[in-house]
Amino acid sequence: MATVHHFHPTLVPADAISNHVVALHELARRDGKDSRVYAIESTRPIDGGVLPYRRLFRSVRPDDTLLLHFSMGNEVFDQLAKLPARKVLVYHNVTPAEFFTGINPHAALHAQLGRKQLGTLAAQMELGVGVSEYNRRELEAAGFTRTAVVPLLIDWTAYDVAPDPAVLAQRASARTKLLFVSRIAPHKRQDDLIRLIAYYRACIDPEAQLVLVGSYRDQPQYHARLRALAQELGVTGAVTFAGSVSLSALVAYYRSATAFVSLSEHEGFGVPLLEAMRFDLPIVAYDAGAVAETLGDAGLRAKTRDLAEIAELVGLVGERADLRASLVAAGRKRVADFSTDRVEQKTRTVLGL
Amino acid sequence: MTTAPSTTGVDVDALMNEVRARIRQRRESGRFDAGLQAALDRPLPGGAPIFADDLADPLKALPDVLDADQAYDPRSRRRYVGPVITLARRAAIWLLRSWIGDLVDRQDRVNRLLYAAIREQALAPSPLGEARLAAIEETLARRERDENASNLEWRFLVARFSGVEEQIRAQAEPFVALFPRGGRVLDLGSGRGYVLGLMRERGLAAYGVDIDGAAVAESRGNGFEVLEADAEAHLRSLADRSLDGIYSAHVAEHVLLGKLVEILRQARRVLKPGAPLVMATPNAATLTVSSHTFYFDPSHRRPIPPELFQFLLEVEGFTGVEVRSYAPTEPRLDEGVPDGPIRENVRLLNRTLFGDRDYAVVGRAP
Repeated sequence: MATVHHFHPTLVPADAISNHVVALHELARRDGKDSRVYAIESTRPIDGGVLPYRRLFRSVRPDDTLLLHFSMGNEVFDQLAKLPARKVLVYHNVTPAEFFTGINPHAALHAQLGRKQLGTLAAQMELGVGVSEYNRRELEAAGFTRTAVVPLLIDWTAYDVAPDPAVLAQRASARTKLLFVSRIAPHKRQDDLIRLIAYYRACIDPEAQLVLVGSYRDQPQYHARLRALAQELGVTGAVTFAGSVSLSALVAYYRSATAFVSLSEHEGFGVPLLEAMRFDLPIVAYDAGAVAETLGDAGLRAKTRDLAEIAELVGLVGERADLRASLVAAGRKRVADFSTDRVEQKTRTVLGL
Repeated sequence: MTTAPSTTGVDVDALMNEVRARIRQRRESGRFDAGLQAALDRPLPGGAPIFADDLADPLKALPDVLDADQAYDPRSRRRYVGPVITLARRAAIWLLRSWIGDLVDRQDRVNRLLYAAIREQALAPSPLGEARLAAIEETLARRERDENASNLEWRFLVARFSGVEEQIRAQAEPFVALFPRGGRVLDLGSGRGYVLGLMRERGLAAYGVDIDGAAVAESRGNGFEVLEADAEAHLRSLADRSLDGIYSAHVAEHVLLGKLVEILRQARRVLKPGAPLVMATPNAATLTVSSHTFYFDPSHRRPIPPELFQFLLEVEGFTGVEVRSYAPTEPRLDEGVPDGPIRENVRLLNRTLFGDRDYAVVGRAP
């Protein structure tokens, strides 16, 4: 029986890419296939365990499927690409190098290498799968001849967990609670969110709160500078850096927010946008990367980064119940397009799992 | 700016119009002021601007790079030979570490010294630049002094050409009558304080401003409230709508036209609505003034035609602007000639050559 091998250099908990790898693995197993997961480094416990990548060189056979998840460059990919098997690259998008200049030159270098490597891998892959049309277009531009789009496979039942009561209690007071969920990283532009909340408090609601959920461990410099910015603007008490949180706490943050705001300048898919829709949050997002694609008809997209305008838009959404209701209804419809069943179907068809 | 397709039932254009209207409101109400705009534009503190090319501002980017700690990872992940290569790299590093360490330390020291030297150069003023700047400043100052003939003893000039107290008071009288009794009135360019004296007698709470320290000292000695200051600077220091009137005699022709416009703008701001502004200056329309006596004072800039001065007040918003000339020239042509064209000609000649020597432009703040 042909085996499905899944690989990503690092597997960590509470990460969209790692979640996707695990979801595909579990789908394959449910369909009765022999499925294994490999990584260079893993802190994620999964069923069957994560195998060290070196095993791939021994275990892969010509009629197996090798799913290489690509979000950063790594020399291992060059080695794996030489293995005789049906090789599919699942592309999660490499953050462009220019989003690291002035912050993290090390990451910038890696980003550049990643994009270059994508080009050299193109010829050796049978299929390039983008998790969004935005990503798929990049694969084509990099030289992939066969491409397809398969969205991230999300297990929506996991979000039925009870919300963390401590978080709910904490968030009860303020009337306006803006939420953004994503790793603290320069291209996610949490700095602009801090400026936005300063405007919001000065002109619209002086008690508005901003919650930033997402790990800040990878970008300590940017995180420190964000805190300094919040202090300079006098909004330290209004901005919460929640860090990396449990699913139960995440659910609580979604449930206690009044709007989801994104000013991110680069998104390969945007799982938090769908999560916001799932929790009936109206969305105002800057149109970048795959944001428009994921939002579809739901949410208000801003084409210019005018912080005052975006803040007033969020303010209007907070004021107008009818506007909010329209957005929430559209969100419910849109998130259904990404239901587990639908995506599983597409995954089976395209990836031949 | 935004799009949200019609299926959500949201009228995006209407929404954006509302957004823009609200922003306009915030600006008008002063909530969205320059300070808030500055906050929105505030760069991320603590280092080089993000997403910016290092090369655009190398001096700012250097400290981060100097202190950056990029660990080299000697591991190779190739098949089979990977571990061998890794071992070989590690061994090579271990063998060469003292030599490399030495080189690195030396280079690091050179880098830091260079950075410090460049920063010092960049921030320190250059001696050559300083010398040239000083030369330019000296040239400008000398030019100014020469234009005003400040090497002349002013008290002699004043003694020779200046008007007497009675005359100055008499000429000021009809204008001082325009100011409200008990009002706070400013004599801009109060000189020896003659008009201040008149104002005090007419029951005005008057004070003066003059740039000449000696004149200020003399007026204070006579019990007047006088400040030593530049006319424009003093007006700028006043609050909006705080004065009941401004009188200024023979100041306008001492300043460049641009500064006169600034003075008028500040005057409009600090005067209460309806309060009078009176500015007197030599009458350029009388040719024996504008071609002759105007130049008795070396610090006079250029004659100001009454039509121009009236225009300057009107264009700055003053209302009811009028020109009142006074101080007829003596001697003038004798108009006792036969009626008809000859008398008309003599009159015209008198007006043109021997007309009133001064005029005052009077206007009220809007």
